[in-house]
Amino acid sequence: MNTVIIDGLAFALPLFIIAIGGIYSERSGITNLALEGLLGVGAFSGAICVTIIGPMFGPGSQIPMYIAFLTAMLGGMVYSMLHGVLCIKFKANQVISGVVINILAMALTTFFTSQANEGIFGKPSNKFVLTASQRITVPVLSEIPVIGAVFTNFYPYEIIIIVIAVVMFYVLYKTKYGMWLRACGDNPHAVDAAGVSVSRVRFIAVMISGALSGLGGMCFAYSISANFSQSIYVGFGYLAIAGLIFGNWKIGPTLGACLLFGFARSGGYKIVDILKMPVSFSDLVMILPYVLTLLLLVFFSKTNRAPRALGEIYDKGKR
Amino acid sequence: MKKNKASLTDKILTKVLGKEKWYGITIPLLSILFALIAGAILLLLLGKNPIVAYQSLLQGSGLLPKENYAGGKNMLTDFTSMLNVLTPMIFAALAVAVAFKAGLFNIGVSGQMLFAGFVATVTIGYSDLPVYIALPLVIIVGSAGGALIAGLIGILKFKFNINEVVSSIMLNYIIQYVVSYFIYTNFLDPVSRQSKKIADTARLTIVNFPIDKIKIDLPLGFVLAIMAIFVIRFLLKKTKLGYEIKAVGLSTKAAKYAGVSVGKTMITSMVISGALSGLAGVTYYMGYLGSIQPKVLTTVGFDAIAVSLLGNSNPFGIFFSSLLITGITKGSTYMTSTIGVSVEIASVITGLLLLFSACGMYVRHLANKSNDRIKEEQLQQLKGGEQ
Repeated sequence: MNTVIIDGLAFALPLFIIAIGGIYSERSGITNLALEGLLGVGAFSGAICVTIIGPMFGPGSQIPMYIAFLTAMLGGMVYSMLHGVLCIKFKANQVISGVVINILAMALTTFFTSQANEGIFGKPSNKFVLTASQRITVPVLSEIPVIGAVFTNFYPYEIIIIVIAVVMFYVLYKTKYGMWLRACGDNPHAVDAAGVSVSRVRFIAVMISGALSGLGGMCFAYSISANFSQSIYVGFGYLAIAGLIFGNWKIGPTLGACLLFGFARSGGYKIVDILKMPVSFSDLVMILPYVLTLLLLVFFSKTNRAPRALGEIYDKGKR
Repeated sequence: MKKNKASLTDKILTKVLGKEKWYGITIPLLSILFALIAGAILLLLLGKNPIVAYQSLLQGSGLLPKENYAGGKNMLTDFTSMLNVLTPMIFAALAVAVAFKAGLFNIGVSGQMLFAGFVATVTIGYSDLPVYIALPLVIIVGSAGGALIAGLIGILKFKFNINEVVSSIMLNYIIQYVVSYFIYTNFLDPVSRQSKKIADTARLTIVNFPIDKIKIDLPLGFVLAIMAIFVIRFLLKKTKLGYEIKAVGLSTKAAKYAGVSVGKTMITSMVISGALSGLAGVTYYMGYLGSIQPKVLTTVGFDAIAVSLLGNSNPFGIFFSSLLITGITKGSTYMTSTIGVSVEIASVITGLLLLFSACGMYVRHLANKSNDRIKEEQLQQLKGGEQ
C-alpha cells in the first residue's frame, strides 16, 4: 500500500504541475498542445546545466539539482515564447503551432544532446546521465498508518511542486492578473475594453505554462529515467492535457485527475507484483488509468466546458 | 491616412507571392525556401557544405542518382523504398485533414494505425490465404479497424461530450499496451523481439521484386494512396457530405441552423478519417515493415498532423508535403554518410520547415494588408489624375 502512495505521488505531482501550466495557457485562451515539447526542452536545459556545473560541486551534493530545476523552468519559459509569438503575434493556428513546437523540440534536443556530448564533453552519447534524486522521510509523521506513506521516501521536488501549485492557485483565482487571465479565455473583448492588453496577458500565461512544464519535465528526468534522452518524450505532456480537460480546466479537479493517473499506475504495478503475474501482464494492467479515465469521462463530462474563446485568434475588430 | 501609403516591402511581398489565388501555393513554397535557408545556415555553422547536404538528401531518397550503388541496387531501388515510407504518410495526413475539415483534431492516428495493423496482421497476415483474397481482405479489415476506433471517438464526442483530444490520447495508450500484451504472449519472434513476420502473400509491399538486374521493394499501397487523394478531394469538393463536413468545421451553430445533422456529420468524418488511418496502418505495418514492434507507437500519426498543415489540408497539397517530409527523412541516412553529420539534423530541418509553414497564416495576413494598401494608393493616384 505504501509503495502505491509513494510512487503514485512521485508520478502524479510532476504531471499536475505541467497540467497547471496548461490550465494557465488554456484559461487565457491559448490552446497548448506544446506541453510535451516544453517539458522536453525544460528537462534538456536542466540536464545540460547539471552536466556542466555538476563537477564543480562535491559528489552527493544536492545543490546542482536545485539549479537544474531553475534552469529547466527558464529553458521551458524561453522555448514557450516561440509558441506565444506564433499564436499571438503571428496568428498561427494554435493546435498546429503546438504540434510543430513538439516536433521541433524533439528534433532540437536530441540533435543538441548528441552535439554537446561530442563537442563539449568529448564522449559521443545520446543522453545526459543524472544521478537519481535523494528521497526524504519525515521522522514522526511517517509513522502514522496509511497517511504516513505520504511523508515517506518522497522526492524533494514534491515539496517544491506543492508550494508552486498553491501559489499558482492563488494567482489564478485571487489576484487581478488571474482575473484578467480567466476573462481573456472567456471574453477577451471585455478585457480589452477594460484597458488591458489581451496579447500581453496571454503571452505571460504561455510563458508561465512553459516554466511549469519545464519544471515538471525535469522532475520526470530526475525520478523515472535518471537521465535525459529521447525517452523523455513518452506522452506525459499529452497526458497532462488529458488531465486538465478531465479536470474541466480547474486546478482542484485537475489535481484529482492527476492523482487518479498516478495511483492507478502505481496500483497497477503493485497488482502485477502481488499476484505474481508474468511480466507481460503488466502491459494489460498499465491500461488501467486510461480505461478508468474514459469511463469516468462518460459519466462526468456532460458539464465539461472549455473556455469560450479557447483557440480563437483575438481580433480586435470582431464583435 | 498615413497607414494607406504602400511601402517598398508591400510591393516586394505582393510581387513575390503573386496573385491572391496563388497564395495557397506560393506561401508554402516561401516557407520551404526559408526553412532550407535556415537549415543551410545551421549546416554552415557546423562546418558542412549545405549544397552537398541537400543534394545527398535527394540522392538518398532516390530523386537524384548517386555516384555509385551497391550490387543489385540503383536509383529506382532508393526511389521505391522512399515510396514505401511515403504511402502510409499520405494516408495518415489525409486522415488528419478529413477530421480537421470537420473541426475535429484526430491526434489518435498513430493508435488507429496500430490497431488496424495489428488486427489485420493476426487475422490475415498469419493466415495462408492466397494473394488475391488476402490483399483485398487486408485493405478491408485495416480500414474497418481504423474506422471502428475513430468512430468510437466521434461517438464519445457527440454522445458524451468527451473532448476528442482526450479520448484519442487515452485510446492511443490503451491500444499500445493491449497490442504489446498480445504480441508478447502470442505472436513474439524471439530473435527480432518483434511480432512474427507476416506471410508474403498478405504483404502490401512486394519485397525484392526483380526488375532487369536489380531488385526493388514495390509498394502496392501507393496506387491506393493516389486514388485516395482523388477520392477525398472529390468528397470534400463535390459531394453533399463534403459540404456538410466543411460547414460543421467552420461553425457548428451555423451548420445546425442550415439543417445539417452535426453529430452525424462529425461521426461520419471521424469514421472516414479512421478508415484512412487504418489504411495508413496496414501499409505501414503490413507493407513497409512486415512486423510490429511492441510497446512503440509510431510517430507517423503525429508527423502527419504537421504534413497535413504544410499541405494546407488540401489533398493535392498533402501529396507534395508528404513527399517533401518523407524525402528529407529518408534521405537523411545517406546524408549522414556523405557529410558526416548526425541523423537528427534532418528532423531539425523538418522541424524548421513546419515552423515556417505555421507562420503561413501571418504571411497571408500581411500580404492581404499590403495588397489593400497598394490598391488604395492606386485609387488615390487615379483620383489625383482626374482632378
